[in-house]
Amino acid sequence: MTKNIIIAIAFTFLSISSIAQTTDEIVSKHIEAIGGKDNWAKVKSIRTEATIKAQGAEIKVVSTQVDKKATRSDISLMGMSGYNILTTTEGWNYMPFQGQTKPEPVTADDLKAGQDELDIQDEFLTFKGKGKKLEDLGKDDFDGTECFKLKMTDKNGQETTFFIDPSNYFIIKKTSKIKANGKEMENSSTFSNYKKTDAGIFFPMSIGGGFGAMEITKVEINPTIDESIFKLPKQ
Amino acid sequence: MLKQSIFLFTAIYSTLTYSQSPVNSAMFGTMEARNLGPGTMSGRISAIEGVNSDEGKIIYIGTAGGGVWKSTNAGASYTPIFDKYCQSIGAIAINQKTPNTVYVATGESNMRNSVSIGNGIYKTTDGGDNWKKIGLDSTEHISRLLLNPENTDIIYAAVPGALWSNSKHRGLYKSSNGGETWDKILYTDDQTGCAEILMDSKNPNILYASMWQFRRQPFSFNSGGKGSGLYKSTDAGKTWKELKNGLPEKPFGRIAMTLAPSEPNKMWAIVESNKTGLYISDDGGETWKSQSATLNVTARPFYFSAIVIDPKDSKRVYRPAFNFAYSSDGGYSFTEASYEGGWIHSDMHALWINPNNTNVMYVGTDGGVYVSIDKGITWQFNHSLPVGQFYHVGIDDKEPYNVYGGLQDNGSWMAQSSGPGGVNNAHWSNVGGGDGFWTVPDADGKVLYSEYQGGNMFRVNIATKKSEGIQPEKTSNEEKLRWNWNTPIVTGAKNSKNLYVGAQYIYKSTDQGRNWKRISNDLTTNDKKKQKQEESGGLSADNTSAENHCTIFTIAESSLDENLIWIGTDDGNLQYTLDGGATWTNVSLNVAKCGIANQAWVSSIEPSHYDKNTVYATFENHMYGDHKTYAAKSTDLGKTWTRLNSKEFVSFAHKIIEDPINKNLLFLGTEMGLFATLDGGQNWFKMKNKIPEFALVRDLKIHPKTHDLIVATHGRGIFILDDIRAIRNLTKDIWDKDVYLFPTPDITLNNGKYGWGGPQVSGGWGVGNPDYTPTIDYYLKQRLATGKATIEIYDDKGTLIQTIPAGIRRGINKVSWNLRSTPPKVAAGSVKMDGAGFTAPMVLPGTYTAKLILNDKEYLCKINCIHDAENTDQNEADRKIVYENATKLKGLYEKVNHLIDSVSFYKMALKTDSVAFNKNKSQKLFYAELEKVRAELMGTKKTSIFADEERLREKVSSLYGTFCGMESKPNFTQLEAIDVLQSDYKKQLEIYTSLMIKNRKTTLKP
Repeated sequence: MTKNIIIAIAFTFLSISSIAQTTDEIVSKHIEAIGGKDNWAKVKSIRTEATIKAQGAEIKVVSTQVDKKATRSDISLMGMSGYNILTTTEGWNYMPFQGQTKPEPVTADDLKAGQDELDIQDEFLTFKGKGKKLEDLGKDDFDGTECFKLKMTDKNGQETTFFIDPSNYFIIKKTSKIKANGKEMENSSTFSNYKKTDAGIFFPMSIGGGFGAMEITKVEINPTIDESIFKLPKQ
Repeated sequence: MLKQSIFLFTAIYSTLTYSQSPVNSAMFGTMEARNLGPGTMSGRISAIEGVNSDEGKIIYIGTAGGGVWKSTNAGASYTPIFDKYCQSIGAIAINQKTPNTVYVATGESNMRNSVSIGNGIYKTTDGGDNWKKIGLDSTEHISRLLLNPENTDIIYAAVPGALWSNSKHRGLYKSSNGGETWDKILYTDDQTGCAEILMDSKNPNILYASMWQFRRQPFSFNSGGKGSGLYKSTDAGKTWKELKNGLPEKPFGRIAMTLAPSEPNKMWAIVESNKTGLYISDDGGETWKSQSATLNVTARPFYFSAIVIDPKDSKRVYRPAFNFAYSSDGGYSFTEASYEGGWIHSDMHALWINPNNTNVMYVGTDGGVYVSIDKGITWQFNHSLPVGQFYHVGIDDKEPYNVYGGLQDNGSWMAQSSGPGGVNNAHWSNVGGGDGFWTVPDADGKVLYSEYQGGNMFRVNIATKKSEGIQPEKTSNEEKLRWNWNTPIVTGAKNSKNLYVGAQYIYKSTDQGRNWKRISNDLTTNDKKKQKQEESGGLSADNTSAENHCTIFTIAESSLDENLIWIGTDDGNLQYTLDGGATWTNVSLNVAKCGIANQAWVSSIEPSHYDKNTVYATFENHMYGDHKTYAAKSTDLGKTWTRLNSKEFVSFAHKIIEDPINKNLLFLGTEMGLFATLDGGQNWFKMKNKIPEFALVRDLKIHPKTHDLIVATHGRGIFILDDIRAIRNLTKDIWDKDVYLFPTPDITLNNGKYGWGGPQVSGGWGVGNPDYTPTIDYYLKQRLATGKATIEIYDDKGTLIQTIPAGIRRGINKVSWNLRSTPPKVAAGSVKMDGAGFTAPMVLPGTYTAKLILNDKEYLCKINCIHDAENTDQNEADRKIVYENATKLKGLYEKVNHLIDSVSFYKMALKTDSVAFNKNKSQKLFYAELEKVRAELMGTKKTSIFADEERLREKVSSLYGTFCGMESKPNFTQLEAIDVLQSDYKKQLEIYTSLMIKNRKTTLKP
């Protein structure tokens, strides 16, 4: 009898732990973890300041974004500064570090591929409305953590894969496949050290990517933004 | 009662968890192996499919042991897309209607002795990013997948099935729901499988299937039997009839066949039989006519099973086989491809022709992929597919050390393990032909030993590549020597001057193979029934030494005693001698007692480095249809054996090694993966480390100086996992801690061993070098969920000199310090990048402290930085001179930038009220004078990237960079230049100061 009970209990235990969470559950827990839908709905603009350390040298990055309108990053290093701008209708890159002497326009493909980035909301808050397909790819290792792996595919077939830490439901890695200009490219970013902002939403204060490790030093939610910064500056 | 049970269960549960080690591969994810390739000689290609389009850019390549590779640029580069799954590929099929849906059948069907085994069919719907296994797990070998183009949910799988045993899982399978379920629709018997399936291009209900009876035993091969035959169905596989009219008399062997997509009634079949030949049909297989054909068309039917017709032109017939043959008259006559572009690797198995542009085709050979854009007449090699099939790997103790190895059908090769710019195809050099196996460097550093199949062995002069045959010959009163296909050639682990080779006898040489002494009698079972290789092949004789049997397969001299030698045979004997070969003891019956099949091949033996009585061995029995992982340990010189078991193990075992520093660290290589244990074999985990999870791991070495793990794979070339000390040093007392900062090994102060090495040539295979200095390593039990992770470096005075972002992953984290302090600040307003802002003088020898900060907790370790005594260009005194002058220049650079900032500040201040400024002549003059100073201090004009403007700051920056990178003595002009720049700076400072004195009180006043 005892044996049967043990087996029964063990079975229950195993079944509880092995019940996979549904995609909806993962998504709703993630939204809750990042501060909830209501808090995010109030976010109309974000400005962040960040530092990237490379060989001990510092690169400063200021990012400014107005929801669904435009985004701009200003990068300073070695006493120089450059920027990239993307709006709903145009985009410009000026990277004098790479030898550019004047701003260069982004291609129509890049402009199209970047439109989704203009949406300030977390992808999981908006994907349904945008007709994106969400696919549960089970669990996969990232950085030693068995993560939930979810893939989002938009109407144009652009794919983004998310790795969500099951201990806190934060996204800790995101990989986007970008098909543009006849090429296919893959970009990955990693996220950690999520902090709650005054507006109640959570923000990853450490972001990693091809560029190195970026530490966010300041986050402003809904700052007043002079939208003229999204126009091509006069040279 | 329930409560008690819960308590009991919890107790059991915790006991179970306690005995489990938490160590797994995810902990070592930061340690990524380098894949040395090469792509110079690639490996066997078993399947090629492309997405039909005018551009033809998307190509999938299936390989014999290297998984699936995808190109999205018509072969300019390839990416492996199947690294988490079985690496032996039988067939690929693309759903051309939704081309991101691709099916991969594992288990190659080129049924040679060394072919690997599959574990089912996989499907992706996103072009290969994610895969799902969809069935036919037990089929072992699948030769073709075919989709009905009108209803792509209908898939056929031709399954020859198991090579080494009877199997009911053979036959032709069909799925009508995209692979969710499968039905066997054609089956003969458990010795006969389906080798090929064709579909009429105009009527998908008409199918043709060739059935094939075949079997291998370790000592023979048979192709052919009453089960073989050619069949046709006109109702999508419900009913079948055999096609015979005009075909030769049965029995048949393997039948290669095809039809013309443009005229599907036209068929071609190469029928292995007593009259092997090419047969042609014009009426959908109802009647056949024999057609004379060249040797190449009919050669080795069990191995060359491809014949392809141009999708648009039924007269154009391609036969990729021993060579590449083509016909322009429907197969009546054949000619062979041109060698204008150079040699094309022989032995071909796959051909894809782009149906939208039939001039373009890709052929898969035993040595990689070639592309033709002229209908197969001339070919270009793709150098970027590192899918070579190594059998063994050798290493030497040179700096950098070299790796040596022999490959299936691609000879023997060597390459340096690192070098300027890393290692690429150009670093590999050929040291032997044929099928390569053991390639062993001699301790003298000048010669190596290599071989080709059947024990044909050579002493090769590494410098000149000249070689001498050294194979021992049969002498009087000896039986014919039996040399394994993969004959062991081994140097002594204790006495490296000892060279051993094995036939059925062991031979020893102490003079590099110039003279041999036989040191054993026949150590095999010498079973005559297993020695009839001349009868091997079946309908087509095939005796290439691949079936040689009752031979010695492995030899190992103890690293503790040169008189203790272990040997293993391919027929189950494991023997040792304690007296250098005078007497031998056979322990195979003792091995059998621990549950290892008696006749299993002894695939490797590892005498312990710590105890003469301890020995590890692996055994493999897949040639008798048994895929279990057999690894065992004896601590009493082979009297009793304990199996090493793990749920993690997959497939049959090739190699076990014991770490020379940590006796609890063992590595095991199997046909499907690399495994490790940190507790002497109780708990094992699969090693991933950027090595394919199901890699065919044939051989392993640990380098005694660099602590690298070198992995020879049969399908993905050589991998090096650099410096495994982080694994070796992870003991239980450490993995139980939340955080552990490992002691950092002493760091030699230099800029690494190598210079740049130039750009990586496009289209090849290359890999970088290992970290040039030891990293700061630490262990985290859990990922750091919140908070910052940084490492601060302090000098011996406690001054913070550098801050580095640190990792937060679970397991081992590795952080590199560039051995420098923080670079100087650069003034704003620059018009081009200034490298000085990225560098600082290399620190002096001494003791530094690394402080690991994780959230609010801190951990310290000392780092000893030592002078590079091997650098004869720079002694310690020179190093100090370089450091002092670099520091002086850093100071000067900072002063110059500070002055630039001051000038810019006042310039800006002057313009605060631009209206007033424009009216004020003296302000405008002052402004201009300031700008003149600024323009002397730094380049200010922006014209183009190529227009360099060198002013004081750029001059200081350039000299500073030279001193920061200097690993020799500064020359006189370099030292004097510092004084010149300092006086230039003073001059500008004086101008600035006098300007300020002149203007501060008057002009600057608001």
